[in-house]
Amino acid sequence: MNTNYDVGAIAAKIESLKKTAMELADLGEDFPALYRNTRRILAAVKMLEINISDVSVTTSS
Amino acid sequence: MLKEQPYWNPVLETLAKEKIRDLQFRKFRKIFEWGYEKSKFHRALYEKAGIKPEDIRSFEDLRRIPTVEKSMMRDIQRKDPFPYGDALCVPLDEVVEFRQTSGTTGQPVYQPDTWQDWEWWSECWSYILWAQGYRPSDRVFIPFGYNVFVAFWAGHYAAEKIGAEIVPGGVLDTQARILKIQELQCTAMMATPTYVLGMADTARKMGIDPSSLAVRKITCAGEPGASIPTTKKRMEDAWAAKVYDHAGATEIGAWCFECTAQSGGLHVNEAFFLVEIQDVETGEYIEEPGRRGKMIITALDRQAQPCIRFDSKDIIEWAGEPCPCGRTFRLIKGGVIGRADDITKVKGVLLSPSAIEEVVRGLDGLGNEFEVIVDKDGDIDRITLKVEIIKGREGERKQIEARLKDQLRLKTNLGYILEFHDHGSLPRYDVKARRFKDLRGK
Repeated sequence: MNTNYDVGAIAAKIESLKKTAMELADLGEDFPALYRNTRRILAAVKMLEINISDVSVTTSS
Repeated sequence: MLKEQPYWNPVLETLAKEKIRDLQFRKFRKIFEWGYEKSKFHRALYEKAGIKPEDIRSFEDLRRIPTVEKSMMRDIQRKDPFPYGDALCVPLDEVVEFRQTSGTTGQPVYQPDTWQDWEWWSECWSYILWAQGYRPSDRVFIPFGYNVFVAFWAGHYAAEKIGAEIVPGGVLDTQARILKIQELQCTAMMATPTYVLGMADTARKMGIDPSSLAVRKITCAGEPGASIPTTKKRMEDAWAAKVYDHAGATEIGAWCFECTAQSGGLHVNEAFFLVEIQDVETGEYIEEPGRRGKMIITALDRQAQPCIRFDSKDIIEWAGEPCPCGRTFRLIKGGVIGRADDITKVKGVLLSPSAIEEVVRGLDGLGNEFEVIVDKDGDIDRITLKVEIIKGREGERKQIEARLKDQLRLKTNLGYILEFHDHGSLPRYDVKARRFKDLRGK
């Protein structure tokens, strides 16, 4: 079983996903289907941050 | 491959102790600042204590922050922004889920959640279910009311998230639920210990042996029973299933869980929560194993109505040994042992209702139900324990009574008036049981 994860690299991809989702949300100001679905994606991205990105600071320090 | 991975999060769940502490501290500062900036209630509380976010530089600083009690939340609610009041940290438009506490200890407290908070709830539960062996191949039956109480709502969404199949047992009655479990060959279930035992009784009355059903994992909540060895054994024997405990609360989240190693303790999800244990008498903080105290808890990522140094009144103690499962999240020994406001002095002796449960459920010949009534005979405290004798064992009443008296004296240091009732005559409960009644103040 793989127990070595490149947490920093995963965190970078999460950041990129977040950036894209935020850009989409900005485009959805008067587009409910775009805005609300993107907000849900952002909530899921936050769970990735809690699970991985937050710890990447700890593991790199 | 994914199925073989024992941890939901192999990074966080095996993180070295000092790294977990570092993560907790950084996250605590963030959530404290969030509460300070966004909640009028929290800001007023901290300003009164003269504490600002920049003052929090160590765990010692953190312990100077005032705790929040449930009664304080009751006082600020039912006001604008309606109905949550001044602890709400987001615009009302962002609240997508309402739940409330069960009201066991008084007026229910309302809990708002954003969608992110709701994702967080199911994330907490994903750790629990994965650690208890739930996998995408499971078909999970959830027999609860799907109403304003949080109960197994997040368990439902977490089971979805991990890829299992959900069978919601909502408004079905107990018999219909058992038939549905049988029909669909459900492999797992979530319920309170009281209901797990009640379902087994009902199944037998229907001519179905619960152990013949396909359920092999049961996750319990709401009561301490799944961490009381004798109650756990009754459930596991009845269903031929592994029974796992977890603890959570509406205003906190699902903060600890038993894993498949069943080492006699529950893991605190230390990546999501900061748990402190405080000596009830001295106020001293307890780090070492073997000393009981009440839990002060912070949910490190919950935003709409934050849970910052919440005085839960749950009595817990740290375990001394690490869990063989390899998780570095600390264990609390024996789960939640009781509540500071349930553990009461009777005849000058501290009595925990779960100690009585352990005795009753450990005695062959007694049914699962019981009731404890504490009242006064003149100035003297009196405890009456009502139990049921299993059908066909009535002739052994004297022997059972003698064993019950001995065990109660041994485990609780108290004498009881014992009442024996016919099997099936004491009240049954579908969700949280209320078996302990203290009538002395009335």
